[in-house]
Amino acid sequence: MKTLATIYKEFLLLVRDPGGLALIFIMPLALVIVMALVQDAPFRDYQEIKLDVLFVDQDGDSLSAKVKQAFDASPNVNLVVKTDTAEVKQLVRSGAFKAAIVIPANSSETLREKTRQLIVKVFSNFGLTEAPKDSLDIAAIGIKILFDPAIKSNYKQTLTGGVQKIVASIQAEWILDELQNQLSEGRTDVKKTPVNLTEIIQVNEQYASEKKYEGLMLNSVQHNVPAWTMFAMFFILYPLAGNFIKEREEGSMLRLRLISGSQFPVISGKFAFYFMVCLLQFILMIAVGIYIMPLLGLSKLVLGTNILGILLVACSVAMAATGYGVLIGVYFRTPQQALSFGSVSVVILSAIGGVWVPVYVMPEILQTLSRFSPMSWGLEAFNDLFLRQASIQSILPNVLRLTGFSLVALFISVIIHKSRTIL
Amino acid sequence: MSTSAVHLIDLTKQYPQSTKPAVSNLTLHIPEGAVYGLLGPNGAGKSTTVMMLCGLMRPDAGTVNVLGMDMETQSVEIRKKIGVASQDIALFPTLTAYENLFYFGRMYGMSGSMIRQQIDKYLHVFGLTEKSKKIVHTFSGGMKRRLNLMAALLHQPKLVILDEPTAGVDVQSRNMILDFLMLLKSEGTTIIYSSHVLEEAERICSHLGVIDEGKLITEGTLVDIMNTHSDCQSLEQLFLKLTGKNIRD
Ligand SMILES: Nc1ncnc2c1ncn2[C@@H]1O[C@H](COP(=O)(O)OP(=O)(O)OP(=O)(O)O)[C@@H](O)[C@H]1O
Ligand SMILES: [Mg+2]
Repeated sequence: MKTLATIYKEFLLLVRDPGGLALIFIMPLALVIVMALVQDAPFRDYQEIKLDVLFVDQDGDSLSAKVKQAFDASPNVNLVVKTDTAEVKQLVRSGAFKAAIVIPANSSETLREKTRQLIVKVFSNFGLTEAPKDSLDIAAIGIKILFDPAIKSNYKQTLTGGVQKIVASIQAEWILDELQNQLSEGRTDVKKTPVNLTEIIQVNEQYASEKKYEGLMLNSVQHNVPAWTMFAMFFILYPLAGNFIKEREEGSMLRLRLISGSQFPVISGKFAFYFMVCLLQFILMIAVGIYIMPLLGLSKLVLGTNILGILLVACSVAMAATGYGVLIGVYFRTPQQALSFGSVSVVILSAIGGVWVPVYVMPEILQTLSRFSPMSWGLEAFNDLFLRQASIQSILPNVLRLTGFSLVALFISVIIHKSRTIL
Repeated sequence: MSTSAVHLIDLTKQYPQSTKPAVSNLTLHIPEGAVYGLLGPNGAGKSTTVMMLCGLMRPDAGTVNVLGMDMETQSVEIRKKIGVASQDIALFPTLTAYENLFYFGRMYGMSGSMIRQQIDKYLHVFGLTEKSKKIVHTFSGGMKRRLNLMAALLHQPKLVILDEPTAGVDVQSRNMILDFLMLLKSEGTTIIYSSHVLEEAERICSHLGVIDEGKLITEGTLVDIMNTHSDCQSLEQLFLKLTGKNIRD
């Protein structure tokens, strides 16, 4: 009952503190939206996204079929088939598409002929067959790859390299095929081995950036929503510690100590209330990720499937944040000290915890440091859950770290509080 | 002599930062049902004594006995039976008068209906019924004082300790408070009343204890003390005679 009364009292105090409310609800919303928008482009750069590539097939034979098949199977490239070369040139020049692959007519035939002649020539050099009468100088097959000048060089290399590999593998196939033909001439008992090198060599290049998150979609929304949620939750120290110190200064805390011997309901009520505020912030921020972000042209927040795990992490972050707020409120004597130290410390913890930029793009030293920030524990756990469908078991270490942090903070608070109040 | 509501024996307290004790070897005897005026100049040690009396501060030496219970061992029991209005206002400024009182009532462990009944009674007594839904922050000094007092009385304590309850209030509020204290006394409540407003003390106190520089100067019933010093016309003259005319800090 006393705890409930305290929860209600804390509710009234917070509701009548528009500054505090704005700080813990409006500010994080603004931050998360702004940061998600700002970091949208950089995050796309970190990521491999599908590159739309125009494809003109004037060949209509096995070579173009193989190229198309290989790029269709690639996770990085999305082929858009066109027929008009002029139009394609125009599209790439205007920047609407970053690249185009044009396979000229008779490419397959040319390549096949070249290959055959090559083999024949080789065999004739060994004196196995008569030298061919027609010229070897068949024009290069001339596959064209058009690039928007603004394209990133790694995309360029991927595409060119990809096409070259396909052509080379097809050629290799045909060489083998032709070899078998030549060697088996006049011998029907030899069975031809079908060769398919394109299935072995695929256009599947990864972009250089990060290796750790390979295959994940850590986009701007996916990073910023949990990150700023964590920031927001830790920021409740502002109203929490602020009110705590105000109560001490205004004497109401003294009266409370007079009224009941035990301070437990007072502290537990505060803790419970701000714990719930944290969860409310969490729900709000997640809702922004799911419903508001798509409206801004960003991707929708993906939560993964382990809802229980998410709740567990949210609760442990809320505990850590509330415990931290209580500690700040107990330790500092004036609101100014508490709030300036509190907010600066939260900003620092969030910076090294990977809220502003993901930990994996930080320098080595900071990455080591970040292991000491409760925010990185929370963030890591959320990423594990959202992106990797982690099991409860695998997030448990971080959950325990957060809970432990909270308990230690509370324990120290109680000791300090006692040592200061009984004179 | 009647049984004592409060018995302080050889109390000594020195603040860590200061060079001389705020209270030294103080022995006070407060009878049940008395209105006990704890008088003394600024810095005499009144507030310090009150703090130890209600268990907010632990004396360096000496014992505090309240309503027959020892503060060291039974502070929780004692707190349930005493009501304290501190010298400084102790309220939540952003809550309404009613919300403040209700919360404190809850913290006393009272039932909702009991709290409502008591609040209505005291709001009426102190003329704050119409202001009960107003935020305390907007109250005048006198209104805050009255509310601060009400918060100390909600749970019908047997011993009420008031540290300068009339500081900074106008004549009307002061009269209202003093009249109410007389009503409390008539109901058998023991009142400890610390003040340097001597006419007030003269008007309502049955007993006096005068302290200066942490030491007891004199203690007894108002009548006895006045009789011992028959050369003094008023309590104020007596007070100046006992404590001297030097300005205190
Ligand atoms: N927190 C403190 N730290 C150090 N010294 C203190 C503290 N509080 C009071 N004192 C000192 O203890 C002495 C007694 O102070 P106390 O507040 O008990 O006096 P008082 O009789 O209540 O005075 P007043 O009438 O001004 O309220 C004073 O000398 C004061 O300076
Ligand atoms: Mg005082």
